[in-house]
Amino acid sequence: MNIEHFLHNPTTNWMQEEGQYGDIVMSTRIRLARNLTDFRFPRAFSDEEAMQIDKAVSNVLIDADDEEEQHFQFSYFSLHDMPALQRKVLVEKHLISPQLADKERVGSVLLSKDESISVMINEEDHIRIQCLQPGLQLEKAYESADQIDRLLEHHLPYAFDDTFGYLTSCPTNTGTGLRASIMMHLPALTMTNQIGSLISTMPRLGMVVRGMYGEGTESVGNYYQISNQITLGKSEKDILLDLQSVTEQIIQKETEARTALIEHASIALADRLNRSLGTLLYARILTSEEAANCLSNVRLGIYLGIIQNIPIAVLNECMLYMQPGFLQQHAGTTLQPNERDVYRASLLRERLQCNRELKKGHSDEEGEDSYDV
Amino acid sequence: MICENCKQRPATITVTQMKNGKKTTRHFCEVCNKQLDSFHLNLDFNADPISMHKLFSNWFGTPSWSVSAPNVNEQKTQEQENCPECGMTYHQFLNEGKFNCPGCYETFKEQLPQVLKRLHNGAVEHVGKVPGSINELYQLKRQIEAIRLDMKVAIEEERFEDAAAMRDNVRSLEKKLQVGGESQDEH
Repeated sequence: MNIEHFLHNPTTNWMQEEGQYGDIVMSTRIRLARNLTDFRFPRAFSDEEAMQIDKAVSNVLIDADDEEEQHFQFSYFSLHDMPALQRKVLVEKHLISPQLADKERVGSVLLSKDESISVMINEEDHIRIQCLQPGLQLEKAYESADQIDRLLEHHLPYAFDDTFGYLTSCPTNTGTGLRASIMMHLPALTMTNQIGSLISTMPRLGMVVRGMYGEGTESVGNYYQISNQITLGKSEKDILLDLQSVTEQIIQKETEARTALIEHASIALADRLNRSLGTLLYARILTSEEAANCLSNVRLGIYLGIIQNIPIAVLNECMLYMQPGFLQQHAGTTLQPNERDVYRASLLRERLQCNRELKKGHSDEEGEDSYDV
Repeated sequence: MICENCKQRPATITVTQMKNGKKTTRHFCEVCNKQLDSFHLNLDFNADPISMHKLFSNWFGTPSWSVSAPNVNEQKTQEQENCPECGMTYHQFLNEGKFNCPGCYETFKEQLPQVLKRLHNGAVEHVGKVPGSINELYQLKRQIEAIRLDMKVAIEEERFEDAAAMRDNVRSLEKKLQVGGESQDEH
C-alpha cells in the first residue's frame, strides 16, 4: 500500500461509519506506550539505537501480516523521507501525532489498511500503538490495541518493572501506558455556557479535557477530547470503565442541553444553525475557525432534524478537507493563509451544494434516522 | 559605630562573609540584622531544589493541595546519583520531567514514589496488565503474598491447622517460583 492511499482517501474509516452515540461521540482512541529494554528513550538515544528499534518493531508487524491469521495489512512509512505536507495530512487524519510529524531524523509509522491502527515508532516512546474506532467503543478499540501489544511482546523484550509496570519516557504514562480518549462534539453545552465548569471538574475525576489534536491543542468547532490522566494504580479495565461512565454522563448532559435549547429557543437555534449553513453554502472567504464553527452548527442541525438533505458523511469529509494540509494537497500547491481561506470557501461550497442537489431528488427515503433527540 | 544599613542605631553585630574568596566585614544593628538575615535565608530558599521540585509538580499540572513538602536533606542526597545506563541525574529528571532510559526507574526507585504519587492520585504501584513472558512468575509472587497475609490472619485467630496448610501451600509455590525462575533464565 503506498502513501497515496492514506493521503487521498478523505473519509477515514472512523469517520465513515457511525458508532454508538454517533450524534455526540466522534471517535474513540486507545494509545499504548511501550519501550524495549536495553535502549535509551528516543529523547536520548543514538541514531544507531533508533535504527535497531525501528527494524525490530516493524519486522514483527510485517512478518505477522504474512501469517495467514493476521490481516492488518500494515504499510511502513519513514517520516524522514516524507514531505512536510504529507506529514501534515496524516496528522489531520489523526493517523500520526503532531510530535511524530515534527521528528526530523528518526520516527516511522505502520498503518493498517483500514487506517484504524497505527503503530508509531520512536515518537516519545519506542512504540506507540494507536487504535481508532468511530463513536464510543472503548472496549473494541482496546481489544485491537491489546492484540497488537500481545503480538509485539511475544517477540520483543519490553521494559517492564514489577512495581512500576510499563516503563515510559514520561512518568505521566508509567504503569499501564494506556491513554484512552473520547472525541466529543459538545455544541449545546458550549452554547449554554456549561462547558467551563465541566472542564474544571474533570481533573478531580482523574480525567483531562483537551482540544482536537491532543496535548497542547485548543478546542476547535466545539470538539473536546476527554481522556484518562492516571495510568498507575488502576487496571486497564478500571481506566476504561471510569472513562466510559464519565463519557456517558457528559453525553447525557449534552443531550439534556440540546433538548433544552429546542424547548426554550427553537427559533433562535434554528436561525443560528441555518445561518451557518448559509455561510458555508455562499461565503467566498472562510477562515478555518469560522468554517469549523459553521460545520459544528450544521452538524448539530443535522442531528436535531433542523437541517436536512446533508448526509453526515459529507460533513465529516468537509471537516477533513477544511484543514490547511488537506486543502493544499487538494489544490496541489502551497497556499498562503489568505489564499487558503478563499480555496476553503470554494471547496466547501462545492461539496455541500452538489450533495444537496443530489439529496433533493430522493429526500423521502431518508430523514427518519436523523431525528435523534 | 552606627549600623551600615539604617545609619541610625548603633551597630552591635559584625557579619563576616566570604564571597568568591573575598572577605567582607559589615556592621549592623540588631533590628537590621534580623531583616537582612531573613532576606539571605529567603535567597537561599529560592535557590534550593525545593522550588525546583515545586516547579516540576506545577509543570505536570498537579493540584497544589496534593503537594507534600519534600525533605530538604533527602532532596540533596538524591541529586548525587547518576543513572549508570544513561548518566541522568535526579536533578536533571526533575528539571526535564522525563526519563532518558528504562534504567532510570531502577536508579531513582527510592525517590520515584513521591513523584508518581503526585501524578497518579496517590498511586505508586502498577496493578494492570503484565507482559506474557513475565506474567506467570509475577502471578506466583502475588499469589504467595496473598496467602501469607491470610496465614497471618489465621494465626491471629488461632486456626493453626489452616495456617499450616497455607504454609505448605506457600512452600510448594515458592519451589515453583524457583524452578520457573531458573527455566526463565535459560531462555
